[in-house]
Amino acid sequence: MTDARGRKAWWAVTDIVILAYALVPVLWIASLSLKPTHLINDGRFVPSEFTWSNYHQLFKLDLFTSALRNSIGIALIATALSVVIGTLAAYAIARLSFPGKKLLVGVSLLVLMFPQMSLVSPLFEIERSVGLFDTWPGLILPYIAFSLPLAVYTLSAFFREIPWELEKAARMDGATPFQAFHNVIVPLAAPSVFTTTILVFIFCWNDFLLAVSLTSTEASQTATVAIANFTGVSQFDEPTGSIAAAALLLTIPIILFVLFFQRRIVAGLTAGAVKG
Amino acid sequence: MAAIVLDQVTKRFPDGGLAVQEVNLEIADGEFVILVGPSGCGKSTTLNMVAGLADITSGELRIDGDRVNERAPQDRDLAMVFQSYALYPHMSVRENMAFPLKLARVGKVIIEARVADTARMLDLTDLLDRKPATLSGGQRQRVAMGRAIVRSPKAFLMDEPLSNLDAKLRVQMQVSVSRLQKQLGTTTVYVTHDQTEAMRLGDRVAVMRRGVVQQVGAPQFVYEHPANVFVAGFIGSPAMNFLPARLEDGVLRSVLGELPLSDRVRRMLEAAHAPRRVIMGMRPEHFEDASLVHSSAREQGLTFAAQVEMLEAMGSEKYAHFSVEGEGASALELEELAVAAGSDVPGVGQLLTRLSTESDATEEKEIQVWFDSDQVQVFDPSDGRNLTLLPGMTG
Repeated sequence: MTDARGRKAWWAVTDIVILAYALVPVLWIASLSLKPTHLINDGRFVPSEFTWSNYHQLFKLDLFTSALRNSIGIALIATALSVVIGTLAAYAIARLSFPGKKLLVGVSLLVLMFPQMSLVSPLFEIERSVGLFDTWPGLILPYIAFSLPLAVYTLSAFFREIPWELEKAARMDGATPFQAFHNVIVPLAAPSVFTTTILVFIFCWNDFLLAVSLTSTEASQTATVAIANFTGVSQFDEPTGSIAAAALLLTIPIILFVLFFQRRIVAGLTAGAVKG
Repeated sequence: MAAIVLDQVTKRFPDGGLAVQEVNLEIADGEFVILVGPSGCGKSTTLNMVAGLADITSGELRIDGDRVNERAPQDRDLAMVFQSYALYPHMSVRENMAFPLKLARVGKVIIEARVADTARMLDLTDLLDRKPATLSGGQRQRVAMGRAIVRSPKAFLMDEPLSNLDAKLRVQMQVSVSRLQKQLGTTTVYVTHDQTEAMRLGDRVAVMRRGVVQQVGAPQFVYEHPANVFVAGFIGSPAMNFLPARLEDGVLRSVLGELPLSDRVRRMLEAAHAPRRVIMGMRPEHFEDASLVHSSAREQGLTFAAQVEMLEAMGSEKYAHFSVEGEGASALELEELAVAAGSDVPGVGQLLTRLSTESDATEEKEIQVWFDSDQVQVFDPSDGRNLTLLPGMTG
């Protein structure tokens, strides 16, 4: 009894240490974002004076609101397209045998491993010459290209786990190919599609390198870039407080997105138990 | 309910491999037919072609007289039970069983009633709201059966439906499958690699090997009159013993000695133009401890002395193993049999006999063993065909 309790206490301590390690920087940023400018450098973890002015100022900046709009729009469109294309490709890879399949998977993995840095300047040149520079498609297209291998790879790994005999069983039960796909395969594949959606969305949302290289104005600049550009844009203050506030705001969509889809993943997994 | 006819049905894979070769099989309405053979013999492919899950390369498949080669699986009105059961994991037992009815756009009230009836028949009523993951193997198997039965299809196709169950449960389920099939009177095609299961269940069995049907017939008939070495060795447990022999002066000469031929056997061998070198097949139950055989009967058989290598006393019978000198029978089929039977290689220097319990045979003791010469089966080593069949006796 005492032994079990001791072990529990030990786990509790470990958990708290790990949580603290992960969350202290976040809390620190939260604290910074709530401090008035003259107290930014006071080194106190709990602000002695609270203010929402950093947040108010953020939303007064057209640059930030438009960047937020760009970020949400670009990430959502890129994620949707990438997951749809990735699902179809992964289905084909998992289900069909066709010439060049191994090559396709191999090359797509290669894309995943390629250092993006080395592709930035060619991409910049290409986009400038075809007029995609500083537009939404100018970011959406490379995002799809870079996230697709990830999507295809994770999805095809998941799809391989689905027993295809279920599809045959559905056909024998009187389902058309579409009914079999819709009634049997989709519910089983859903958790993996949601997982992939989260991963791809985080990739698109967090990207800085491509966004900073391929955009220049409010027309397409995303939030990650906007934050970096706060210096000099903000005319009256040191931008530290604003940066902290913006960084914190940026994590909110991801948290919402994950929470929303995570519920479906769990629901899907408990319903699953794929092994017949 | 329906009659199913396979007319020269052939399956060739895109890579050129021939999986099933010109299968002819007429399955009568309400009949229970078993496709049996070692793995890779084409039995599952044949079933999949009947189901519509595999394309037919050539030949014709008719259900109730209509050609259905081009019909999609959902339009053939057949139900299938898979080895893995293939239950939909995201649906409850009730939803699993209702699924085929829902697809057939049956009304809700009727679905309820049919599912309830079927559940009662299979003793699944208490499990209707459970998910497949929470069921035991036997329960899942029954749900799979229920899903097939519920919409009263023209025929049941079963692909090794009991192979995932443990031995005891399998025997139980064999009995219930057989009873259910008789009760419903639905045409059933059943695939298995287990010849005991085939013998126990089928009205008729079709023994397949390398995509070719070797023999079709009632289980007992196939057992007593196998068409060739392969069928002889595959059907029956323990398996038939094979020994090389020479046919000379009206006797069969082998390492066991001279086996006098009965008139019946002699006539059949003459009619079949038997070669001099043959393979002799002997079922274990046609041996007996010579001391228990009447002297008058002993003359109509072969008696030899051999040392008991191993004795299995099973209670109701005794199995005595002997090793015989010289090499075992060699025919192409025998090699394949050895593969199909795993380690239990028939005919390679081993002789397995079934003796009655009164026999005082003990291990490592030499005893006199008698074989009933009228029961010998003789095979042509060049093509494996049974030379002791009357013309036209193919089942």
